[in-house]
Amino acid sequence: MSRRRFKPATASSHWPATGAVFAFPIAFILLPLAAFLAYSFFWTEQGVMSYALTLRNYARFFTDPVFLPVLRQTCVLCLEVAFLTVLAGYPVAYFLASLRGRIRYILLMLMLVPLLMSYVIKIYAIRSILGGHGALNRALLWLGLIDEPLTVFVFNLNAVLLTLTVLLIPFAVLPIFLSLERIPRSLMDASADLGASATQTFMRVILPLSLPGTITALTFVFVLAIGDFLTPQMVGGQSGFTFGRIIYSQFGTAFNWPFGAALSVILAVVVIAAIALGTIFGRDRSALK
Amino acid sequence: MTRDSRGNWFLAGFTLLVFILLYGPIFVPIASSFFALKQGVVNWQQPTTLAYVTLASNEGILVALRNTMIVGVSAVVCSLILGMASALYFNSGRSKGRALLQFIIFLPFLMPPIITGLALLIYFREIDFDRSLVTVIIGHTVFVLALVYRTLLVRLQSLSRSLVEASYDLGASGFQTFRYVLLPNLTSAMIGAGVLAFALSFDETMITLLVTGTDNTLPTRLWAMMRLGFTPDINALVAVILALTTLMCLLAARYLMPRESTGT
Repeated sequence: MSRRRFKPATASSHWPATGAVFAFPIAFILLPLAAFLAYSFFWTEQGVMSYALTLRNYARFFTDPVFLPVLRQTCVLCLEVAFLTVLAGYPVAYFLASLRGRIRYILLMLMLVPLLMSYVIKIYAIRSILGGHGALNRALLWLGLIDEPLTVFVFNLNAVLLTLTVLLIPFAVLPIFLSLERIPRSLMDASADLGASATQTFMRVILPLSLPGTITALTFVFVLAIGDFLTPQMVGGQSGFTFGRIIYSQFGTAFNWPFGAALSVILAVVVIAAIALGTIFGRDRSALK
Repeated sequence: MTRDSRGNWFLAGFTLLVFILLYGPIFVPIASSFFALKQGVVNWQQPTTLAYVTLASNEGILVALRNTMIVGVSAVVCSLILGMASALYFNSGRSKGRALLQFIIFLPFLMPPIITGLALLIYFREIDFDRSLVTVIIGHTVFVLALVYRTLLVRLQSLSRSLVEASYDLGASGFQTFRYVLLPNLTSAMIGAGVLAFALSFDETMITLLVTGTDNTLPTRLWAMMRLGFTPDINALVAVILALTTLMCLLAARYLMPRESTGT
């Protein structure tokens, strides 16, 4: 009998073990985040840190003419990336979901494998493809569409947009695939039996049912894109300035950690808002089902 | 029917195009690593393995490779131990504390890596913890913990509760139950999660850039090399790294896939 009630017994006799389980996450996740939040309320001037709490960093963000426009521009850019990846990812997910048997999972795996390939290398390779001597320009020259290599694809926001889109497509395919896969085939058959054309079935049955996955995909990609500072740093050049780069520069060249922390808190708020919106809209639609 | 199949051909073609888009940036550097370079332009008429010879004598890269291995293996071991402990704890009952622990573990996975990296950077400075490979290991453990924890928890929850109960009824201690009943059932999940965690750690750049001192891992070394300018051995290094990563992907798939397909 006593053995059967082992659960409460272990729970009380394992307090040290419980403490050990909590120790690492608290010491290296919770406390750093708390320190980081606290830092955003400090102030530094000419290398001297003031630990008195102040809102000056946030005030600077909202009053300086540079930062708000860059944040808005970055949000627009990342939304564009999200929509482009979904635009490219939806047909792929649809095709994969329409396959039968093992091949769909093998292809899905192949779609995801590039995610584990070196991020820096992919950025670098895409930059060389987009560049003056790159494959894209050579293809355009060969097709006779242009007379001399174009430079509009590197070292500006277009380059950041294209690069991020190529890098993040798999993140859009996966959630859309998962939501398409869950739609029972009988629903499509029923729709066809009731006289709906293929287009009508898609527009009125498949598309609404796959909307939660699509929204998840948008959120995923947006969050990943807005947090990235490597891609804009590498392909953005002088004009391709993004919010992530500004944050990174506060910890490097500008060396203003409290201000950098405040900017990151704002980034975190944007990310949380995006995730919350994604969850709300994703859930509402599936509730209609 | 004909219109349907035409639509399918279009979708298949489009999928192929996306695959080319995804794999192009991986194959271009590999292909060009076997050819000579002149002023940053690949000469496709001149095959050579010179880049690989230069690579093998590049001190900085070899050190970076060693650092990457140290960090990867340490982060995998730490995250497996912590992930296992957390998953066992979470699975042993229900409480607010458990939900909180899970939330904390998931935080670095939800937040952009730049925030995790900056938080650790500030924290290490405030507690006077010098930046070194140790801080990189901690950063990577924080980053991969959620994935390892989640993988182990899913497997743990798929095991029948009666297994553990039977073990206790037969007089096994808590440790014996873990060692002889749970652990054998979790091995493949641990290997899969470990390989995946290693692959993530192997490629982690943003957090590493922020929390490392003077030590370089391969991605940060690459990052520095590419920013300074072009050297031919980069392509060779790329090929080597991609070969290693592919191997890891295959391993991860081998240990994670079969169970998943029979499980669901």
